[in-house]
Amino acid sequence: MAELNKDIVGKKLAPFTFHVERGKVREFCLAIGETNPIYLDQSAAQAAGFSDTPVPLTFQTAFTFWGYPKFWTDLEALGIDVKKLLHLKEEYTYHRPIYPGTTVHCRMEVIDVKTGKMNMATFKGVFADENGVPYIESEMAIVIRPD
Amino acid sequence: MQRIVFNAVDEGMEIPSLKCGPITQMDLVRYAGASGDFNPIHNDAEFARSVGLNGTIAHGMYVMAQVGRMCSNWAHPLQIKWFGVKFRGMTLPGETLVMTGKVKKKKEENGEKLITVAVQAANEAGDVKVSGELVIKAD
Repeated sequence: MAELNKDIVGKKLAPFTFHVERGKVREFCLAIGETNPIYLDQSAAQAAGFSDTPVPLTFQTAFTFWGYPKFWTDLEALGIDVKKLLHLKEEYTYHRPIYPGTTVHCRMEVIDVKTGKMNMATFKGVFADENGVPYIESEMAIVIRPD
Repeated sequence: MQRIVFNAVDEGMEIPSLKCGPITQMDLVRYAGASGDFNPIHNDAEFARSVGLNGTIAHGMYVMAQVGRMCSNWAHPLQIKWFGVKFRGMTLPGETLVMTGKVKKKKEENGEKLITVAVQAANEAGDVKVSGELVIKAD
């Protein structure tokens, strides 16, 4: 089994942006079966105190996969065997809602690596506006399945 | 959309559950497109077997999204401060998921009325796929 290298702690992925399009959010809502009208109907969202339809709680997963197409190859470059990768943990701290039309500035960094019985890596993500004021912060951990 | 009032919630209280499924391969194809996660273990059974799985498995984030749906059906999203899960088991096409949540702790901290809810997704046999917590700032 390929051990992870602790030296990758502190490595950053290149910063990237993701422009939140209304149609992309709707596609995501349809895919997860989201029916809560606040996510789909602007008047329902406004009645609930939003200025527009917010994105669902886990929509930011699309920031990385669509906004950073090199994600898998970058993980491989960090020595992570993506064929054996499983998602272990995902955590979000919400600071303020994200609406369609927003350009989100995304940064991801490796903050922890554990080796031994479990080979795992933890990434911190910051999803912010152009001034760096965050909308959401994330922590994501992956584990490499043993052979 | 209701807002959660601190004094109206008791520890041990269950929040409204949500059922989803049976999950189909098509659901995973749609989720792959929507999220951009095209890891072939989710949509190519042959590839999945070649890396030691028995077949395709659902995206963990698809299951977290279902837990998220339950959370924001209950609490107003503007009240949601933190939401996190650990992935405990693989979800397979054909399984039906049941999302549940139970109020674990109430506390006042830095002027915020915080409610922590233990949340999970399990199949109908009770095998837990995802478990975690939701923290809301109550009124």
